[in-house]
Amino acid sequence: MRRSRKQKKDKSSRTLVSHINKKSPISEQYRSVRTNIQFSAVDEDLQTIVVTSAGPGEGKSITSANVGVVFAQQEKKVLLVDTDLRKPTVHYTFRVENISGLTNYLIGDQSFEHIITETKVPNMDVITCGPIPPNPSEILSSKRMEQFIQTAKEHYDLIIFDTPPVLAVTDSTIVSNLCDGVLLVIRSKKTEFEAAQKAKDQLEHVNAKMLGVVLNDREQKESNYYYYYGNR
Amino acid sequence: MEETISLKEIYETLKKRLLLILSITVSAIVISALLSYFVLTPIYQASSQFLVNQEKSESDFQYNVNDIRSSVELINTYNVIIKSPVILDQVIERLNVDMTVNALQSKVTVNSEQNSQVVNIVVQDPNPELAVDLSNTIVQVFQSTVPDLMNVNNVHILTEAKYSPNPSPIKPKPTLNIAIAMVLGLMVGVGLAFLLEYLDNTVKTEDDVEKKLGLPVLGVVSSIEDGDYRPSAKGKKIPVIEKRGGTFEA
Repeated sequence: MRRSRKQKKDKSSRTLVSHINKKSPISEQYRSVRTNIQFSAVDEDLQTIVVTSAGPGEGKSITSANVGVVFAQQEKKVLLVDTDLRKPTVHYTFRVENISGLTNYLIGDQSFEHIITETKVPNMDVITCGPIPPNPSEILSSKRMEQFIQTAKEHYDLIIFDTPPVLAVTDSTIVSNLCDGVLLVIRSKKTEFEAAQKAKDQLEHVNAKMLGVVLNDREQKESNYYYYYGNR
Repeated sequence: MEETISLKEIYETLKKRLLLILSITVSAIVISALLSYFVLTPIYQASSQFLVNQEKSESDFQYNVNDIRSSVELINTYNVIIKSPVILDQVIERLNVDMTVNALQSKVTVNSEQNSQVVNIVVQDPNPELAVDLSNTIVQVFQSTVPDLMNVNNVHILTEAKYSPNPSPIKPKPTLNIAIAMVLGLMVGVGLAFLLEYLDNTVKTEDDVEKKLGLPVLGVVSSIEDGDYRPSAKGKKIPVIEKRGGTFEA
């Protein structure tokens, strides 16, 4: 009984597979995402990555958190920014407090150093959303946001932005316009082709650099060789 | 857009929807079995035969092909007469059954083999005894009425329908119905499986992304299961060397 209750409580932090269980096949898969991201931008400076998807619930937050963790494991200083100012989740994933965050900085309330929250993951810091504003799109397209990205680039090797879905709101297109690359998360058996195509078109319309797709929640097969190496 | 379906894809689709196909087939079989055993009234069949032969003069003993031909042509006429109210009214009266001529007509089939002088009268009825009575009475009434109508007496009763102690219905045929239902169920199931597969336009595999979206796949992450959270497969903790760069583990 006690154990099951405890497990339930743990659910929110469980998404950080690559931190909790570094040897799991899932972590290995995130590591291969990391490698591919590094290879996809050989000559370019890839310091800011936007993680987004076509619709809600396709695994943006879990992907951005885990990709951040595997980069941090490579001794890179990683900053994960919760840019989903409508439904923030980063503070749940990392189990940190969301008292002050990105919005406080963007409205000029607090300095950059103030809003950074350290996590249990070495080399990894997060910036939570902060108080939910009434006008997320306007706030994100402000001059202050550009300033924020500049400041963050000075302090960190990699900045990952967890954003709202592309088709629902315009926020992620605004942010991706300011960043070096966009990671589109597609959830196997959930994301429709039309939606993914529309999301891709919208992102390309604002000249965002599409790094590629992370296919999430892919059905596992017995023949999956990751499992051979992961479990034995 | 060019689309080819490989045998393997067909197999995968069928395997994925196997449960759906099987459940449709099984339910079709069950429904048809229930219908044919409990709902549909069993129909029994009785048949009697008579022979049509021209009366011949004693001297002319040889069989004449023309005679036979005319008998055969006569049979066509008889077929109509048997099903006419002239006969059937008398049958209804004689057996004292509560039935209209039309209802009786629908139960009676008259057929004759090609170029033969034997005529079959087949009666189908939910009541096996009534079927026997009807077919026999029709032949008898016909035999007695024909001389009045045609001025010839050339109808001989060949076989009478007999009561059987435990008659078996000719329809519904449960096995046949079940077989039909099975085939139909399979067809509908397979059709539905392919329809669902066609209507499902979600992205599923890496190939889908690369081919249809034209975006590179940076990685595939499988569904995260509970086991993935345990530090090791057997639940025993791996001692972690506290060192920067987390990939170094004992």
